Amino acid sequence: MALVNLTGKETGTWVHIGTETTIEDGAVVAAPLAQLVDADESFFKAVGAVGAVLATDADWRAVAPLANKLSFVVINFPSFSDGRGFSLAVRLRKDLGFRGEIRATGHTIPDQAMHLLRSGFDSVETPDAREEAFKAAVKRYQVFYQSDFTGRTSLAHARHARAEERKAS
Amino acid sequence: MYAYDQYDHALVNARVGEFRDQVNRRLSGELTEEEFRPLRLMNGLYLQLHAYMLRVAIPYGTLSANQMRRLAHIARTYDKGYGHFTTRQNVQFNWPKLVDTPDILQELADVEMHAIQTSGNCIRNVTTDQFAGAAGDEVADPRPYAELLRQWSTFHPEFSFLPRKFKIAITAAKEDRAAVKWHDIGLILKQNDAGETGFEVIVGGGMGRTPVIGKTIRDFLPEADLLSYMEAILRVYNEQGRRDNKYKARIKILVEDLGAEEYARQTEAEWQAIRNNPIDVPAEEAARIRAFFAPPRLEVLSDDVAEVDDLARQNFLFAAWVRNNTGKHKVPGHVHVTISLKPHGGIPGDATDAQMDLVADLADQYSQGEIRVSHAQNLILPHVAKRDLPALWKTLDAAGLGAANQGLLTDIIACPGLDYCALANARSIPIAQAITSRFDDMKRLMDIGPLKIKISGCINACGHHHAGHIGILGVDRRGEENYQLLLGGSGAEDASKAAILGPGFGEEGIVDAVEKVVAVYLGEREDGEEFLATYRRLGPAPFKEAVYGAR
Repeated sequence: MALVNLTGKETGTWVHIGTETTIEDGAVVAAPLAQLVDADESFFKAVGAVGAVLATDADWRAVAPLANKLSFVVINFPSFSDGRGFSLAVRLRKDLGFRGEIRATGHTIPDQAMHLLRSGFDSVETPDAREEAFKAAVKRYQVFYQSDFTGRTSLAHARHARAEERKAS
Repeated sequence: MYAYDQYDHALVNARVGEFRDQVNRRLSGELTEEEFRPLRLMNGLYLQLHAYMLRVAIPYGTLSANQMRRLAHIARTYDKGYGHFTTRQNVQFNWPKLVDTPDILQELADVEMHAIQTSGNCIRNVTTDQFAGAAGDEVADPRPYAELLRQWSTFHPEFSFLPRKFKIAITAAKEDRAAVKWHDIGLILKQNDAGETGFEVIVGGGMGRTPVIGKTIRDFLPEADLLSYMEAILRVYNEQGRRDNKYKARIKILVEDLGAEEYARQTEAEWQAIRNNPIDVPAEEAARIRAFFAPPRLEVLSDDVAEVDDLARQNFLFAAWVRNNTGKHKVPGHVHVTISLKPHGGIPGDATDAQMDLVADLADQYSQGEIRVSHAQNLILPHVAKRDLPALWKTLDAAGLGAANQGLLTDIIACPGLDYCALANARSIPIAQAITSRFDDMKRLMDIGPLKIKISGCINACGHHHAGHIGILGVDRRGEENYQLLLGGSGAEDASKAAILGPGFGEEGIVDAVEKVVAVYLGEREDGEEFLATYRRLGPAPFKEAVYGAR
């Protein structure tokens, strides 16, 4: 598997754990959301940093109580066509104000690189064979019709930005 | 018409480059057909029964003469000399070679056209009234809003992988010619008591195997809030729409499951949370787009034109054409003209390269270089001076484009059916041809009056049979093509679902059945009563008796 960095921000490394895993003190771990919902304070004290692994059908509201404890989130696409993953990332950024790394795993295709980046993902895990295509796809488009989570405003706003700047000055 | 700026050009050209790369990877074997499929579908390239089919977007059905010439050129150079205009106001080419498709897309991009989002589970081409900007009965031209929606929905980062395809239609007129209540989202442009412009927002309409008429979730949305409100509707749908069964994945099912009130409540809550984000465009941008749709400068002329009246007295077919195929324009002395693509015995919606070139020339000569495509699969010259009608009609008639049947029984909507489509259970085109041949008599058609027949070759309902005054649905019955007869549908402001009348028929039988239904209407109608009104007054019983009684 290759890790494609979409935003250029630093990407993390972590170990995936289950309910039976023994956790080493200070380890950086990724755990399923349900396990984190049930975890007590001692768990969060023991680990170094923790991230949640979310299915695309996860309810973003269920993440809310945990949001300030999470360093990163992994959203796992069962199929590239399951577009709920995009809305979930948008919810984390927009409604929870989550600023940590959001990573896509599972089945995505290179042609979704820009969709991922612009919905708030930082990185994507993909088979090695797709790494180059993902990297090329991020560079293909320069302007977009929508404001997005890379901080870019829509073309509609950009077209008139200079006029607005003039007004402001 | 909207004209691309450098950014619009850059986006569409980047898309062509991307697709050329994908096609090369497929041709070299780097991509399997399975991997290539979602990529080609995002560019409107289907694999049909016999060949690839390329669906080209005609945003809100508006074309310039030069764009039409380019379509003619593509039909001639890369296809078999014809194109097919669709119910989504788009055009399809049925025989392109895969290796040529990147060149075709480049030819389109050069005239500000594309095939983006003409398939796939994304927001499809936004459709509107084919007479927009010309019709006498509209509040304002709906196309600036359609263009705004086109831009907002193009490559949307969040809404390009929806549970299912998503269709938006806008009307601004009293008479709904865009079938807005049958769309995932229908928008009716209106003015409130304060004189402000906004939209009635309807969600959850749709055809397919579960026909549903949309429900209003907001009576008045200020025009400046359009995109943020659309985003709220789409987010609720993307998150909660069903993904376990593609036949239950459209928004209509979610709206039914939640209830329209709950859908409205969730939309409203999300909209309140996002309406101040930079989603809606600045007023300057709305004004920039609107300026492209400024009404053409037409000279105010008299509506009484002696040459038209004289020719109409001499020539019944011309008189019928003026009556059926032209309509009231905003500017006195002008009309909008519908060029019927429904010659009796012909294929609904098809046009040859020569016909497309001719329509382009006529648009330049008589209609400010503008052309429209209607969801009923006809072409429109929106701005024609009445005094030009005799010359225009003679030229059209000589090219096989003079059929005077707009809105009449032979103005049939039909899907491509089993002649082309891999999903179809039965052929649609030959049924349309058989019906129009059977009723090839303009006097008889004029006597019957407005009557919409819509034919689908399978339950997916691309031929809109649910909304037909007479709907015909082709099914597969133990390996035989069989046609069900439905009555009483409407796609207009009085939208209604057609109901199945009884057991289906073979190819001959369905044409006979249509004839019997029409005979009941002619016998039972009251003075000036149209077919749909008579059916609604009488109900199905007398039609049933006439069609099945002798069995």
